[in-house]
This record gives sequence, C-alpha cells and structure tokens, in this order.
Amino acid sequence: MAVPANTSSKTAWWLIAPGVVWMALFLVIPILMIVYVSFWTQTTFKIEPTLTFASWQQFFASDTYITSLFTTVRIWLIVLIATLVIGYPTALYVGLFVKSKTLSTILLVICVIPFWTSFLIRVLAWRPMLGKEGAINIVLQKFGIISAPIEALLFTELSVIIGMTQIYCVFMVGPIAFMLGRIDPNIIEASRDLGAGFWRIFRKIIFPLSLPGVVVGAIFVSVMVLGEFATASALSGRKVNLLGNIIVTQVGSLKWALASVVGVILTILMGIVVALFLRIVDLRREL
Amino acid sequence: MMTADAHIFRLDAVSKRYGATVALDKITLSVERNEYVSLLGPSGSGKTVLLRTIAGFETPDEGRIEVNGRDISSLPAHERGIGFVFQNFALFPHLTVADNIGFGLANRNDPLPKSEIADRVNDIIKLVGLEGLGGRGVGQISGGQKQRVALARTLVTEPKLILLDEPLGALDANLRGRMRNELRAIRERLGVTFLHVTGSETEALAMGDRVIVLDQGHIAQFDHPDHVYSKPATPNVAKFLNRYNVFDGSIAGSAFKTEYGDLAFTQKTKSDRPAYAVRYDRVAVDAEASAGKGPSLPANFIASEYLGSSIMYFFEAVGGKVIEVEHHLSNGAPKIFEPKKSYRLRWKPEDAIVFG
Repeated sequence: MAVPANTSSKTAWWLIAPGVVWMALFLVIPILMIVYVSFWTQTTFKIEPTLTFASWQQFFASDTYITSLFTTVRIWLIVLIATLVIGYPTALYVGLFVKSKTLSTILLVICVIPFWTSFLIRVLAWRPMLGKEGAINIVLQKFGIISAPIEALLFTELSVIIGMTQIYCVFMVGPIAFMLGRIDPNIIEASRDLGAGFWRIFRKIIFPLSLPGVVVGAIFVSVMVLGEFATASALSGRKVNLLGNIIVTQVGSLKWALASVVGVILTILMGIVVALFLRIVDLRREL
Repeated sequence: MMTADAHIFRLDAVSKRYGATVALDKITLSVERNEYVSLLGPSGSGKTVLLRTIAGFETPDEGRIEVNGRDISSLPAHERGIGFVFQNFALFPHLTVADNIGFGLANRNDPLPKSEIADRVNDIIKLVGLEGLGGRGVGQISGGQKQRVALARTLVTEPKLILLDEPLGALDANLRGRMRNELRAIRERLGVTFLHVTGSETEALAMGDRVIVLDQGHIAQFDHPDHVYSKPATPNVAKFLNRYNVFDGSIAGSAFKTEYGDLAFTQKTKSDRPAYAVRYDRVAVDAEASAGKGPSLPANFIASEYLGSSIMYFFEAVGGKVIEVEHHLSNGAPKIFEPKKSYRLRWKPEDAIVFG
C-alpha cells in the first residue's frame, strides 16, 4: 500500500462516519429508548419514567398477547415455507433455465411490477379477488367446480397467508435467482458428464450452491413478515392479531410502555431468527 | 490395426449449424483405442463444438456418433460414458478435493458403496499426485492441482474416451510444460483414448500420437504430427502451424506466379486453393545483388527476435507482406542485418510446398 497507515485509517473513519452517525441516531438510540420505555410506569392517562416490570408482567400474564406471539410465529413459518415453495422453482427458471441474461432481467422486473403501486393497495386488491362475491368464487362457480361460494377465502388466516405470500414471494425469488445465475454452466455440464441425472445434480450441486440465496431471501421474508400488521388487519377482518397489530393498538391508545414491551420481544424474536439463518451458511464467504 | 474393434469412436458425417453459420460440416473420422489425438484449429474452427457434440452437450443436426461400436447420437450426456475435462476445470466449488473426485462414482445411476468410492478415490489421488490434499476445498489449491483434480474426477469413472477442452489453457507456461508430460504419462498408464483440443500448434504436435487439423468446420488433415508438420495438406494447415511463409498466387507451368515474382518448385500437393509455402527455417538470407540458384525474392529487414535455440528474422516484402526466417543457432552464430536494408531471401525449390 502506497498510502501511509495513518492516512488510510483516517480515510476509513471519514468513510464510515456518516453511516455511524445515521445508525446511532435512528437505530441504536431508538432501540435503547424502546427498551428503557418498556420499564416505565404506565397509568391510564400518563406514563412516567419510574422503572417497573409491570408491563412485562402484563404481557406474559395475558392469554391474548401470548396467543398473538404464537400466531405471529405460526404465520411467519407458513408464509416462509409458502414463499420458498413457490419462489424456488420460479427462481430456478429465471436464474438457471433462461439462458439469455436480458430475458431473465425482464422476468425479474415482471416479478417486481406489483411494487409499482402502494403497499396498501396491493393488500386491499386481494379483497375483490377473495371475497364471497370475488373473482375467484365467480370463476369457480362459472366452471361449476363449486356450487356455493367459498367463504373461508376472505377475512380468515388463509387470506392473510395468501396476501403475505404474494407480497413477499419476490424477496425470496430475487436472491435465489441471483445465486443460481452465478453458477458456472460448465459445472452443471461436468456433473452431467460424470453420470448424474437431473435430481442428483439439483440435490448435490444446484441446491447447495443456491443456499446463500435461500438464506438471504428467508431473512428478508422473515424480518418483513414478523413485523407485519397491515396485511393482517386488512385481510383478516381483525381476527388475526400479530405482534405488530398489538403494537399499533397499544400506540393508538397511548399505552407506550406495553407497546415497547411488544417491540422489544419482536426485536429479540427477529434477532434469534436472523442469527439462526446465518448459522446455515457463512454469507461473508459465499457472497 | 484398422479393424472395426480397434476403434474407440467414430463420427459419420456429423453436421451442426447455428442459424446460417456451419459449425461442423460433415465431419467423418475414427479414433483408435489407446491413442492420444490432438485437435488443432484456430478459434472459430469448430473444435469446441465438435468436442461438445461428442460429449452430448450439443445435438448434431445430422450424422452418427458411435462409441465402442454403439450408436450414441441420441443418448443424453450422463449416459454416454465419455469423460470431459473443461478448460476452466469446472470443479464443484462447495466440495472438497476428494468429494469432487468421487462425485461421478457417488452420483451415477448405480452409485458405488461408500467404502469402494473411498478406495478408488485414494488410488486416483495417488496416480495424479494429490496425496494429502483430499480434504482441502478446491478454492485452497493451486492451478496445477485443480487441473489434476479435474482430470482425476474424470479418470476415476473409468471412461474409455476422455475429451479435453484446452486443458492447459488456464495454466502458466512453466506448469503447462510439466502438465504436458504428466498428461501423456497418465494416459499411457491407463490405456484410455484422449482427444485433446488446443489452439496451440506446438501443444498439438507435441502431445498427439495423431493430429486432427480443423478448418472452418471440416477436417483439413488427420495424420501423424511429423507428417502434418512437414507435409501440411492445405494452405490453411500450413498457416495454422505457424512455421510456414504462405504466398498467394497461381501456378503457371513449372513456376508459381506471385506479386514478388515467379517462384520455382518441384512438387505439387492437390488443394482447392493455389498457394506456395516455405518453412521459416528453410529460408536463407543473401546480399541483395547476390546471384544464386533457386527461388528467391527481395525483402527489407525489419527486426529480429532471440528465442534461445534459434533466432527469428522478420522481413518485409512488396506490399507489406511479412516473411519470417528462422536461423537455428546450432548452424552457426547469428548474422547481423541492417534494418530497412534490402536483402534477397532464397531457398531450395524442393523445400517449397505448392498447393493447387
């Protein structure tokens, strides 16, 4: 290195300074605040900085809140698996089977088209699709597949899962397609030449090499689904309460301490999930 | 040795087109068992397509491919039992050296038991000289070692025919020389047939028991290296060998008319294009005004290049045509020529190869 160590370390400091300041102001301090506020004393009309465990006890003593914790975990797991099952074959097609780079870019852009409209509209658009007199029921009835409309389609846990899977699937497709696109075609030909059929090549070569993409996609989907509240409130008819919905309700009634407790629990949950995924692959080495 | 059994594989009028371009034009050839064949051609001559077609990565538009007397034209690559060594090695990046080598045995349609795979992998690791590296990741070994893994991975599946696509292209010159000897030694020990594609004429001549020269999708010559070298079959073969000055022109009686004058010759090779070729090391340099026998032409000296055992002189003839002269240093000390000065290049008429 021609740059003296002193100067280069100074340059490095200047380079990371804006990021450090930004993260400190808008991430680290707010998180510390939330943890702090979760121990404040909450009365009906006001909140004061006298430290207490009351809000934490309230959360763990309540069936509603504990149920909502499990609902969140359940819906997260179902949506995660659904996005993987639907997203992986899509990514396989876009990233590996489509030989032309231009075409695979076009296909990825098509996947992103729903994002050209706002999040709320994307969620609400499911109502006329899934409703009792919605598009799916009309089509199924027209073809005589069902005689009476399926009512379970809307304002149930199923509609929340359908909505979330559609919205977050592309976050699974993108990273996986990226990793698959980087596989040297010669490697696949080499495994064919050594006598392996398609399934063996998939299991032993393609899937392991795409695993970092699966992990990145799973982290994207998990973090977004765990923190979700809008899809659940718009498509479940208030029947599905995720931890995110509880935060919204509590903040709405100015119960800052309890909202903070849920916030801390949610953050810890996400931290555990991300840490577990990162144990599967060494992303720094793979990417 | 030309009985049907002696052949390991045979191509019969194999053609391959990409749109309007003909990549392979009715290729017919047969290669014997236990033979090292090198396949020489400039880029775009179709040599890689030919290799990929034999391996089953490309489907020919017409023609038959036979291996061991069996028609394999319609078999998928993984059922052909032909080994393929890629130019960039194409090792599995997430597997260890031993797992890379054992991949074919563990993942074919009838996988071998684990203990037998381990034994055979160990044997082949010894054969190619990779002892102690079986547990390494393929990112942690050198280029020459990767080359050995790529070869071992194919050898362990015991194919009777191995196709090598510019296998030494990714190695530095020093290593390339060493791997050449090793490739030949390993092949002889195992008795398999190698078909080795290369763009380097020295590699093709040095490695092959026989050399195929490919020119624009068809076989221009298929012969022993010394024949290819001393008797190129077409003007293009002479050009690819990079050892011949090739002049365009036309035959007029006992002379060959060129823009540098009439050049005498004694023998003629049949070809679809007239050309006059003379080897670099058969040309002598005389003073411009000198009189002498044999064909000659005037040219200006440009520069020289010292190659260790010989020295190359570059001359420029009428019209900017560069003529190369090689002087072997065992034939005496190098001569000093004056740049831009005109000399007379002369050779014996029997050293000329005339196509027409």
